[in-house]
Amino acid sequence: MIELLVRINNSIYNLSRVHRLLPWLIAYLVLLPLPKLLEFVLSDYYIDLANRACLFILLCVGLNIVKGFCGQVTVGHIGLYAIGAVSSALLAINYGLSFWVSAPLAVLITGFAGIIVGLPSVRLEGAYLALATLGLGESVRIMIAVTPALGSSTGIMLIPAPAIGDFVFDSFERYYYLVMTLAVLGIYLSFAILRSTTGRAFQAIREDPIAAAVVGINVTMYKLLAFVISALYAGLAGALFAHMPPGYLHHNNFTIIEMVTLLLMVVLGGIGNIWGGVIGAIVVTIIYDQTKDYYFYQPLIFGITMVLLVVFMPRGIGGLLGRMIVKKKFIKNHEDKVIDFA
Amino acid sequence: MFKINKICLGVVALSFMFVSTAIYAGDIRVGITMRMVSENGQKYGQMMMDEIDIINKSGGINGNNIVATLMNDECKSDKGVANANKLVSQKKVHLVIGSTCSSVTLPIVAVTAKAKVPQIIPHSTNAKITKLGSDWIFRVPVSGRFYAGVNAKYVGENIGMRIAYICAADAASQNDCQAMQGQMRSQHGAEPVYVAEVQEKEVDFRTHMQKIKTSNVDGIMIAALAETMARALIQSYEAGMDESVRRIGSSSASNAPVPKIAGDAAKNVFFAAAYAAADKRPIARLFNEMVRERYGIHAPDHDFSQAYDLIRIVEIALNNAKLKLTNSSLADDRVAIRNAIAGIRNYQGLASGPISFCRDSSPVCRDGNRTAVLIGYTKGGEQFETEVLARVTMPMDFGL
Repeated sequence: MIELLVRINNSIYNLSRVHRLLPWLIAYLVLLPLPKLLEFVLSDYYIDLANRACLFILLCVGLNIVKGFCGQVTVGHIGLYAIGAVSSALLAINYGLSFWVSAPLAVLITGFAGIIVGLPSVRLEGAYLALATLGLGESVRIMIAVTPALGSSTGIMLIPAPAIGDFVFDSFERYYYLVMTLAVLGIYLSFAILRSTTGRAFQAIREDPIAAAVVGINVTMYKLLAFVISALYAGLAGALFAHMPPGYLHHNNFTIIEMVTLLLMVVLGGIGNIWGGVIGAIVVTIIYDQTKDYYFYQPLIFGITMVLLVVFMPRGIGGLLGRMIVKKKFIKNHEDKVIDFA
Repeated sequence: MFKINKICLGVVALSFMFVSTAIYAGDIRVGITMRMVSENGQKYGQMMMDEIDIINKSGGINGNNIVATLMNDECKSDKGVANANKLVSQKKVHLVIGSTCSSVTLPIVAVTAKAKVPQIIPHSTNAKITKLGSDWIFRVPVSGRFYAGVNAKYVGENIGMRIAYICAADAASQNDCQAMQGQMRSQHGAEPVYVAEVQEKEVDFRTHMQKIKTSNVDGIMIAALAETMARALIQSYEAGMDESVRRIGSSSASNAPVPKIAGDAAKNVFFAAAYAAADKRPIARLFNEMVRERYGIHAPDHDFSQAYDLIRIVEIALNNAKLKLTNSSLADDRVAIRNAIAGIRNYQGLASGPISFCRDSSPVCRDGNRTAVLIGYTKGGEQFETEVLARVTMPMDFGL
């Protein structure tokens, strides 16, 4: 298994030397026939599951930017997701805007909201920042719950599905192509950010904000930027969620339980590890689905998993796999050197 | 070679994991999605499963077993939609039952309509559900549009026009609250004296109660879920309002936690519901006894009776539908079940009135029960008692 991962890793590296976008293009092409495969082997329900996994991937990758890259403890991400969802839905319903206009606008609105959520990070850290962002996230939900114009208790109904001309993204399969494309794009951009000057600044702030400031990094600006980028991801995921058939939103979709599930995904995958967030989102979505029949024990399963993960696998699945790949590579290199020496 | 074998084994194991239930021709597959987060919620679901088990043990439906899948939607629309998708696409059910919560049922209506699967609702009262115009939806409980009419008629004629409202943020309570205000306006020309919008799980109502007390009202309508309503009732007495100010409950006042938590504060509270445990009919007495013995519930509320009635209606419909139950007949069987439910006329069960459906997809045909019973608590606490104040049948097109 590890050997396979090492080989994949090497292949990706070799392909990226030909062109940096080539591995992504191949990954995208590999993912394209997935709905047909799922429908043939299992049932089309699993395409819906894949769609939901893609939404969570976007959310986790976004959360990882602020939490994993920049080291800011935020528990208000679900509030940003709600803002993206409600904004896009209302723009589409009240102003008749198509998804292609309402979703980018919703992403921008969520970006601005990200500044507000990020403001406490200028003064607060750790548990205090967590509490502040938790309050902001929950305030968003409560505001939706008590404001009739935002859907209130009945929710927002009949949100139109995205369409290009007569081609409407109203089936599991059609929606998959949209949500998967954006998820792949989101992952790619996340890697691009991580490898850029901005990404290095984020990591410097995560390791030591004072040292980062000493070397000339504008800590306040980069902290806010991390929140804004993270919010853009959440806004996009929210807009995609809102327009996903049957096109219905309710404030109950954005509770603290959803936030905890999101955190579980990121922790399970590995904080600060982009692939970890992706793995976490997929694994938790599948486990949640497969344990549905045991609804009585489901919260218990998730709670225990979270505790065990933090205790025994603090760097998550992504961290574990990464370490194993590095170890394998080291052993292989070492063996080669021994052979050369002999 | 060994590695290839391991990969193959892994793939096979994964396939088994995903295909968790085999689908057999000859079985009638029913999917249930409900709010199973509270003790009562779990018991409603359990009772449905038990009743289906009893049907199977007594020979099934024309010799065919009903295979039921019960899922928890936690009263969350995204989870309810995911459940519905799973039931429809993976489990290939012939019929969807659910949900408990209106905010979950509303989006599921679109899922079942698109997939052409009949859906029958045990508890959701929001009037919008049947107004969506789906050809595949049927509602067993009394719609919110009828409850409001009955409450307003009784309040206007027996209590007075000066009514204050405390409305919690959940879908059912908001619907009950707004519909009641609308009915008081249209039937009696009475505007609300005071309206307070509160959180779904609000704990402190004292400020509102003080304001209501100074407004000299004839009654307070508390529209909230059970625990929230119980807290509000207690605090209304703490604020110094005596029994002369009548307390009007929304439909969830029927749930047992209200009198149990509120205790003496539940006395004289009245509400419109679809079933009264104080019902003297033999069928109701037998039902009360059964629920007491099987689930340890002192007096079943209308959510129990509606879940029970729903299974009886489904049983009748399945018996009447000419089902082929082959792998290729799924779509035809779903249509047959829908038509059979639409053919139910004057079902006399535990419900407050006869339940009838018809072929048209309008609320007139799909809101089965239009009789509400007005119930008052005569005693609160664990051994609470109720009395039937009135039974009112509304016109079919009322509130449309």
